Amino acid sequence: MTTPQRPILLNSCARAATAEEARFRIDRPIGGRAALVLALDDEAADVVDRVAEKPWRGARFFHAGDVPFSQLEAELADADVAIMIATADADGEVAAALARACAERGIMTAGLILGEQLEVAGAVSALRPYARNLMVTSDEDDVAEVLTALRA
Amino acid sequence: MLKTEINELLTHTGPGTPMGELFRRYWIPALHAEELPENDCPPVRVKILSERLIAFRDSEGKYGLIDEFCAHRGVSLWFGRVEERGIRCAYHGWKYDVTGQCLEVPSEPENSNFCSKVRLTAYPLVKVGDILWTYMGDREQQPGLPEFEFAQVPAEQTYTSKRWQESNWLQALEGGIDSSHVSWLHSGGLKSDPLFKGTKGNEYNLNDLRPFFEVAEADGGLFVGARRNAENGNYYWRITPYVMPSFTLVPPRGDHPVHGHFWVPIDDENTWVYTFDYHPTRSLTPEERQAMIEGHGVHSRNIPGTYRPMENKDVDYLIDREAQKRGETFSGVRGIAQQDASLQESMGPIVDRTKERLVSSDTGIIKARQKLRKAVEALRDEGVMPPGVDPAHHRVRSAAIVLPQEQSFIEACRDDLRARPGVAHTSV
Repeated sequence: MTTPQRPILLNSCARAATAEEARFRIDRPIGGRAALVLALDDEAADVVDRVAEKPWRGARFFHAGDVPFSQLEAELADADVAIMIATADADGEVAAALARACAERGIMTAGLILGEQLEVAGAVSALRPYARNLMVTSDEDDVAEVLTALRA
Repeated sequence: MLKTEINELLTHTGPGTPMGELFRRYWIPALHAEELPENDCPPVRVKILSERLIAFRDSEGKYGLIDEFCAHRGVSLWFGRVEERGIRCAYHGWKYDVTGQCLEVPSEPENSNFCSKVRLTAYPLVKVGDILWTYMGDREQQPGLPEFEFAQVPAEQTYTSKRWQESNWLQALEGGIDSSHVSWLHSGGLKSDPLFKGTKGNEYNLNDLRPFFEVAEADGGLFVGARRNAENGNYYWRITPYVMPSFTLVPPRGDHPVHGHFWVPIDDENTWVYTFDYHPTRSLTPEERQAMIEGHGVHSRNIPGTYRPMENKDVDYLIDREAQKRGETFSGVRGIAQQDASLQESMGPIVDRTKERLVSSDTGIIKARQKLRKAVEALRDEGVMPPGVDPAHHRVRSAAIVLPQEQSFIEACRDDLRARPGVAHTSV
């Protein structure tokens, strides 16, 4: 070790950490994430509709088949994460277009594919190149779980 | 971000808590086998899931794990004498066997049967591999013994160390699921650590600092795949299994041994970390074993005679700012284990998850918490057996592999992610 030894007293504050004290840490308002949530197929659209009924900070929900892509691009202007929801019938072309638009704007992409691994293998392959973070799950609750965790 | 009540649900593991009840459905590590090396050796105090216990090995070699305190006046049996078929309290000589049954109360008449009415809480204690495992739940629900591969291979192929971490178990476990910190915090170790260096996989790791992540469900928990770019448009995948409640395996590097962890709550603010390295098909070399003993790889360098790492909170983890400046270590702390522990302990005894700002690369952590919460609630509300209890769920492996872009890691690696005795692990 090349650093000169410093008095141990210097770390007293770190040693005195308690669980109660954690309440006072990061005591500043924590903003949410502007999330754009896009259903890539009809079944995913049903899930997204159910999730959209819950209270969210600023998440916006869309069906790929119902909105022109230009509108989605416009919605990306103030988004900082785009989350694609898909089942076995995911539209890979929309995913690719959205991912390109996100890449140009420096927006993080994620994908949740709902279904059993074998049934959704095609959708997973279609989304893999475009979602930096991909979850394959049989539990629909994961959509709301991820959005909640991200403060969407 | 978690609500306060969910954070408490997942982090509190004492008797009667929902997460404590979940942990009590599994066989969990209670001691390193080296702590009770021979018959009639000194007893060992064990605190686990907030319960104070005493472990001993009687003259017939039977292991016992019983309430630490004598039923008479509540003194610690750690001061007791381990003698024929039991442990005798140092205060008034009450004697207990490995089942917690009191065998003698010397102050009572010779023909008294009073002792038969005295019994301490006792849990089974069984040696599998280098670890003494216990099951602290309902005996009717006791599952088969652990079948994790690291504990099943011959002794010369495996090594286990143990260390004390001064934080709640969950923030320690989450470090094992979160692959995204490796390219930063542990970047120095990839180049120099004798148990990591010299593999092709390291080059992929260091050349691509922005991996993509993919999370898939497994019978006992999860598989978390991290992919980076490789040659010819292929992907380099590192696949981490998580088996509930607190077991993870690190993906391998070349022909180096495979390592992993088991995080066991001591109480809500302290954790035992059992760290292992094993090779499925060959003995560990003397050099590898020595490196592990010296705290290389994912092991810790402990203060002699203890399981407390030398790089601990009291000495600021022996942080070396010059080494940090030179880039030898990213944080200035020596060793992968204490690089992790130093940061996880800095989060506080129990991190307040209502204040965190997760990002989508934390998907593995989000999913693991959700699986734990659902398992806790299903057990509490409906008595459903949680994932990871069935020994079949233990037979998993990590893997590191290069695959064509279109291939799913979970499909392509179906066999590679199963423990297969006598078959080498899949590694790059």
